[in-house]
Amino acid sequence: MGRGLMKYGGIKPVMAIMAGLTLIQSIAIILQATWLAEVVSALFAGAKLQEQAGGVGLFLLAFLVRQGCGLLMQKTAYRFAEQTGRSLRRQVLAKLFELGPRFAGQEGTGNLVTLVLEGVTKFRNYLELFLPRMLATGITPVLVLAYVFTLNATSAIILMVTMPILIVFMILIGLAARKQTERQWQTYRTLSNHFVDSLRGLETLKFLGRSKTHIDSIERVSDSYRSATMRTLRVAFLSSFALDFITMLSVASVAVSLGLPLIEGRIELLPALTVLILAPEYFLPVRMVGADYHATLDGKEAGEAMEAIIGAAGEEAAKASPVPAGADLTWTPRSTLALRGIGVRHEEEGDPSLDGVNLTFSGMGRIGIIGESGAGKSTLIDVLGGFLRPTSGSFELNGCGLGDLSPERWREQITYIPQKPYIFSGTLADNIRFNKPEARPDDVLRAAEAAGLGALVASLPRGLDEPIGGGGRPLSGGQEQRVALARALLSERPVILLDEPTAHLDIETEYELKETMLPLFSGKLVILATHRLHWMREMDRIIVMERGQVAESGTHQELMARRGAYYKLATLQQEGMNA
Amino acid sequence: MKRREDWIIPYFKMYSGRFALYLLLGVLTLLAASMLMFTSGFLISKSATMPYNILLVYVPIVGVRAFGIGRAVLHYVERLVGHDAVLRILSKMRVRLYRILEPQALFIRSRYRTGDILGALADDIEQLQNVYIRTVFPSLIALVLYAAAVIALGVFDPWFALLVALYILILVAVLPYISLMLTRRADAALKRERNGLYQKLTDAVMGIGDWVISGRAADFLNDYERDEEAVLRKERKLRAWARWRAFIGQLVVGLTVVSMIYWSGGQVAAGQLNPTLIAAFVLVVFPLADAFLPVSEAVQRLPEYRESLNRLERISGGGASEEANAADAPPTGGTGGAAAAVPSAAELETAARRAHVKLERASFAYGREGPRSVDGVTLDLPQGKRVAVIGRSGAGKSTLLKLIQGALVPAAGAVTINGVPSAAYGDGIPRIISVLNQSPHLFDTTVANNIRLGRPDAEMEAIRRAAERAQLGGLLAGLPQGLETPMRETGQRFSGGERQRVALARVLLQDTPVLILDEPTVGLDPRTERELMSTIFRSTAGKTLIWVTHHLAFAEEMDEILFMEEGRVLMRGTHAELMEREPRYRNLYELDRPQW
Repeated sequence: MGRGLMKYGGIKPVMAIMAGLTLIQSIAIILQATWLAEVVSALFAGAKLQEQAGGVGLFLLAFLVRQGCGLLMQKTAYRFAEQTGRSLRRQVLAKLFELGPRFAGQEGTGNLVTLVLEGVTKFRNYLELFLPRMLATGITPVLVLAYVFTLNATSAIILMVTMPILIVFMILIGLAARKQTERQWQTYRTLSNHFVDSLRGLETLKFLGRSKTHIDSIERVSDSYRSATMRTLRVAFLSSFALDFITMLSVASVAVSLGLPLIEGRIELLPALTVLILAPEYFLPVRMVGADYHATLDGKEAGEAMEAIIGAAGEEAAKASPVPAGADLTWTPRSTLALRGIGVRHEEEGDPSLDGVNLTFSGMGRIGIIGESGAGKSTLIDVLGGFLRPTSGSFELNGCGLGDLSPERWREQITYIPQKPYIFSGTLADNIRFNKPEARPDDVLRAAEAAGLGALVASLPRGLDEPIGGGGRPLSGGQEQRVALARALLSERPVILLDEPTAHLDIETEYELKETMLPLFSGKLVILATHRLHWMREMDRIIVMERGQVAESGTHQELMARRGAYYKLATLQQEGMNA
Repeated sequence: MKRREDWIIPYFKMYSGRFALYLLLGVLTLLAASMLMFTSGFLISKSATMPYNILLVYVPIVGVRAFGIGRAVLHYVERLVGHDAVLRILSKMRVRLYRILEPQALFIRSRYRTGDILGALADDIEQLQNVYIRTVFPSLIALVLYAAAVIALGVFDPWFALLVALYILILVAVLPYISLMLTRRADAALKRERNGLYQKLTDAVMGIGDWVISGRAADFLNDYERDEEAVLRKERKLRAWARWRAFIGQLVVGLTVVSMIYWSGGQVAAGQLNPTLIAAFVLVVFPLADAFLPVSEAVQRLPEYRESLNRLERISGGGASEEANAADAPPTGGTGGAAAAVPSAAELETAARRAHVKLERASFAYGREGPRSVDGVTLDLPQGKRVAVIGRSGAGKSTLLKLIQGALVPAAGAVTINGVPSAAYGDGIPRIISVLNQSPHLFDTTVANNIRLGRPDAEMEAIRRAAERAQLGGLLAGLPQGLETPMRETGQRFSGGERQRVALARVLLQDTPVLILDEPTVGLDPRTERELMSTIFRSTAGKTLIWVTHHLAFAEEMDEILFMEEGRVLMRGTHAELMEREPRYRNLYELDRPQW
């Protein structure tokens, strides 16, 4: 399980230092036992107490060296784990930002944040535990056993035979426990989720008039959960039972096996006592591995999950096409962007989200993208914003061929307003000047006013400096859109992409927001994807999407006259219920 | 403080028998381990005296084996008993938490705005099992063994027993106390800062699209790394202390061993102690130390539980319960004699078949000083009337619904069902009014069980019919397990519209005369919205509908449309009337239905 470890930077010197320390520690363990046995057997033989100071001192010294080595080893392992954890986190975070919002959406924000924060801690914990455990298991028992051999062969054989038995038992029981857990995993998961599921559904239960009687169900399920858990634990604890049982039995056997030759005078007390003290030390490393097994497993898995993200980003980066030198990616009224056969297919088998899209955008103007959900509107916006790399086709921007639109210099041209813009935890002003942190306060205020936030700013006790977002003052959906709009205005970027900016709002807010937005669109390239038809009359050009393809495009009048896909959409929305 | 313990202490009494057994087994486990070394030491020393008969060491031989096996068996049983007891407590705690939350059910969402409070509370309960297993019992076992060891030694020599008592005191009290004092503040700060990191990163990942577009991702990463470094520095210090603490603990053990050597040697020299016991006394120190060394760590965990306990205390304590009472009888006065007129069983039966909902100049304000969320609303809903309520967020729509459901009592005016104040129906309300809101909870069980919640005694046939009426037939026919398909497993396959249909089937099975639709189509695309609404309208013929919506599509299907603003009704009438009379209405309608 440790082979993957060797790829982490700086592990070799760390391993060398720790192996040296483990060696010293093992020797100290043996010496500690020897000197303790010497003192005790001397006293047993009737030696004077005063004469034992040297032996006792040596015992204490060995004891201190042993503990000191442990301390240094932990420290070394911690340092290494800290460094490795830090570099892993840095890589993961950097890659996460490279992969962008699509990836974050797929993996889930909560999962990613937990992975980065708790996963790194677990991974560090794994390194910290695993390195010393691995070395101790490899070195200490061997040395102790060799030494015991010189003292008493019988005991050494008992110890030697026990170890493989112990390991085989542990593996067998471990497998049995896993099988048992897997077998009832489904019921187990349902039971363990039942309570939180009940709490989350409390409101619904209340509406249904079931909230009081549901208490019985919680009691019942909690009880079955306990039974199921206990069934699993009975097997799971068997592995540590076996560990205990076999080591204790082995120590007891060693003690008893030493008794007989002692009675017959075949060995002295000193070696017998030394062996007895060393017997538990022989098993200690293995017992520690058993105790930390689950912690190390967790950490190892977290490490692998993070490696997977880094790997995914590497794959993505490999696909990126180079930007030709000297390419002009800025957007001006004379610019053109052509999409040539752009296709996006998420799964090999599935239907493509975009299929052979050919479009040309030139100069400034208002472009509406309309279609039903699933028609490919959002995918198209994501491709234009550079969040998504098309799986086929190419772009031509200002006469320069590109494989995707992820280059930084293109991103600097655009602002993006999604259906639910994210409001960062910070002041209102911070949120507005997000793309342009150096903006002057009056410019921020002007942008806020233009976006229709003037009344809100005036009503806030701290005005533009009012904290909003997580932990701050909650904003309504319409206000959030206005913040995003102000952000877009302030950044003065020539291209604005909007994805369903008003679909989730109540109709009055939608109306007011539209009135604010329309005049701000002039002099920019605005690409607005929506299923709300009312926007279309204000657009210079309309692109109708259907099943990932461009069904038709033109002005409102042209498309209505043509009686094609657009006309169908329009009539469908005008018909009432009975359609 | 007192309340916090409320979640811990009572359970000791409730399960005193099991806990006593757990404690006993824990003590015996460690005693067996200690006795194994003690007897072994004695056995080989005794053997070394070369007794003429092996029978003289027979007892220690048996003892060594018995203690060896006993320790393993006892430890196994101890862990099972402990976990069983704690799982029983968890079960009780869950029920208790549920009972606390149940009365506030309709207010939790608005009261605890931030994050997933319910998930956090469920986690808190899980966290509390560590209080018992990781902190309380290891400490108690250590204390019992402490007493036993000192008393046993006292039989031989009271003064030496006192010295050993001091040594162990360092391990079980002094070191844990110092450690707790040293690290408490740092621990708390660390936890706070880690929380900060968590929020900062969540914030960044949620807004990752904006970071990418802004071209400032590197700025964020540098800034975040700086915060991580600060946390790491604190962590490093804490870990260094933990290492030193363990080292000091071991040092005390080493000193104890040396003291034991000198004492037993002295005793033997003085003829007070048999020489065969020297090895026994010296060797027993190591396994005994295993009981005392973990106490520091157990105690240092104390602050970890605090946050969980605080949260539980907040939810079960003063403030929350007062508000929960307010839900039953709000403080704004003018309750309209709600408590007096409890409807009879016959009245409830009648209302469950036909309900005439009436609001007469009903008003409500949260808090005495606050603005009125609902201000003098009058509404007459004879059985079968369909009304749409429109307004932006904060217009008072939710409060209006809660008044109708009797969850709130009007401060002025009246809300009645068949002439009886709606609040008086109490738990009978779900027989009269059902609710389909924008995110009905679908439980982690089969589709059939989810629908059955509408009427638990419903037969399979009735469930099937309800599913048909909600037009789930086609969907279910495509699933191999049909109605028995687990909801969560295929959660990805059930779309928003399909989930709403399952919830609709549940509401149809509940079969109440009045149905509240609280923005059930938010987040659905227009086609799905249209299909769902037409299913709803078709399957609820004859029911009174109160439909809160943010769109005007299908307004023409309703008998009356209410426009609310700041708690008041701004416009009302049928669709045709409003189209003719109100230019503002026409403008808005135009957005939903562009007329070309």
